[in-house]
Amino acid sequence: MTAPHPGAPETAVHVEDLTVGYLGRPVLWDIDLDVPSGVMAAVVGPNGAGKSTLIKTILGLVKPTAGHVAIHGAPYRRQRRRVAYVPQRSSVDWDFPTTALDVVTMGRYGHLGWLRRPGRDERERAARALEEVGMAGLADRQISQLSGGQQQRVFLARALVQEAEVYLLDEPMAGVDATTERAIVALLHRLRDAGRTVVAVHHDLHTVQEYFDWMAILNVRVVAQGPVAQVYTRENLRKAYGGQVSLLPHGTGER
Amino acid sequence: MSGLLAFLADHTIRNVVAGATLLGVVSGVLGSFAVLRRQSLLGDTLSHAALPGICLGFLIAGTRDLPSILAGALATSVLAALAMLALTRWSRLKTDAGLGISLSVFFALGVVLLTYIQGTGAAGQGGLDSFLFGQAAAMLRSDLWIMAGLTGFSVLLVAALWKEFKLVAFDPVFAATLGLPVAVLEATLTAAIALAVVVGLQMVGVVLMAAMVIAPAVAARQWTKRLGPMVMLAAAFGMASGVAGALASAGARGLATGPLIVLAASAIVLVSILLAPGRGVLWGALRRRRDRRALGESQVLATLHALTTHHGDPDYLSEQGMIDTYHGLATRGTLARLRAGGWVRAVRHLPHEGRHWELTPAGRERARRILADPRAEAGTEPGIDRDGGGA
Repeated sequence: MTAPHPGAPETAVHVEDLTVGYLGRPVLWDIDLDVPSGVMAAVVGPNGAGKSTLIKTILGLVKPTAGHVAIHGAPYRRQRRRVAYVPQRSSVDWDFPTTALDVVTMGRYGHLGWLRRPGRDERERAARALEEVGMAGLADRQISQLSGGQQQRVFLARALVQEAEVYLLDEPMAGVDATTERAIVALLHRLRDAGRTVVAVHHDLHTVQEYFDWMAILNVRVVAQGPVAQVYTRENLRKAYGGQVSLLPHGTGER
Repeated sequence: MSGLLAFLADHTIRNVVAGATLLGVVSGVLGSFAVLRRQSLLGDTLSHAALPGICLGFLIAGTRDLPSILAGALATSVLAALAMLALTRWSRLKTDAGLGISLSVFFALGVVLLTYIQGTGAAGQGGLDSFLFGQAAAMLRSDLWIMAGLTGFSVLLVAALWKEFKLVAFDPVFAATLGLPVAVLEATLTAAIALAVVVGLQMVGVVLMAAMVIAPAVAARQWTKRLGPMVMLAAAFGMASGVAGALASAGARGLATGPLIVLAASAIVLVSILLAPGRGVLWGALRRRRDRRALGESQVLATLHALTTHHGDPDYLSEQGMIDTYHGLATRGTLARLRAGGWVRAVRHLPHEGRHWELTPAGRERARRILADPRAEAGTEPGIDRDGGGA
């Protein structure tokens, strides 16, 4: 794949000169990022590298000190319907009185607009999305009675009904078991194969090569970005994680 | 019955009952959102902060004019909420500290103003301190219309913005990514709670009004797992406690209405916390007992099976004392329950020996199932997920 022109429509996510500060310290420093359309991209980096902040800034949830973001060539606020977001599972109170199906239906609220209630169409879409993530039988389950992996899949289903082109996920594989992780990866691959763009914050370096085809290594600055085959090198990872990481890029299982 | 009808024919009592009903509805509906957003103490701050507004309204109108007083109350309540938001946003204070500071500053200001007014000896100021604990009997028919208007407005607001309020309460960050004006919606909810507080001022007073925001919602949460039923149930609980408190105070001469309403709501909370199926304390204790017994039965069956296998004799008779030793505790009760269920048989081995036990064919089958998959027996219990994640 040739490098697309910055901000061109075939660039799904374009980030330019982005700097974000918190309490006087930079969390992200002069980030330039161009995620091409139709890839499955990982954002990796050590704790405190600003991975979640990057996703939140792209979504307009965090105000940058400088720089700007474009989704398919236009600012996010004009492209909301083309973007879906899967937050970290721990970001909500799962004791809220509602069901799995109802949470998934919330993904349609942006399309519904003010004053309109979700109806049969929204519920059917939500039921289909739950089926797609393998939770058809749990639609009426109270969300507090779902396991961690099931909660994560509910959030994925909610993003699916948004019918977006760009999917931004914050640690979708955090704290789920191997079976759920494989199911999530398979689903994300299907999205990519359908031409959507997937950008996921990822923490497990050993699975990057297996799951993703594009990656950005982040540590406040962008250390490297591009196809995994070129970027996933010992040298790049050492630059981001420092010398203490006994990383073996060819994944012999040593952590 | 005719006594009750005559009772209800009394104008004052009718006013009080109608007012208490309105108060119950509005505080139940809006309190649900406050409780779910973990802002239970917001009601406390808003109601205490109404006191300076009440006094200012009185000073500006020059008389005990309810619309001015309520407008003043609403204004200072909202101001206190904004002060709390500003404190938590621009300082490192957490919400609870922000609420506490806001509450005490505004309430202190209110008490100062109240004593100032009482010092001037202005006409009609005598009724002003009734806003501290409420004075339902002083309510006029015209006051009722104001309460009805505010209640109707709040309920319509919640109905119109239902899905937005729900999303903001559950997942405000996701709501923001959809382009919802989360800050405006949260401020609207807060202002609506301030309206509910204002509705209740005359009835319950600033000190106890917080209970009306929290109690019906907390009680309703115990009984349902959907937001819609929770809000309706909270309204019903609010209404019931309002009516109960109003009637009780009308029946027992001299008892204040507001505190009785709050006590009625608290009684509903107590019953709900103890008895509600699924979330209730007693329910939980019963379930734990049932689980413990089921597990005990499984383990004793497994032990009997192991002893039988160990001795290579399917008809091996296990002695009671031996089973006790294996488990380190008395298994007599568990074995009795297993016998009642037809899983084991009691047999007398030799006349001078104690009681012996053997597995029935059904018991042997069940023991094999348990040993193959210990969770097979628990699988029907909600909340235990077997294909779940790694939490």
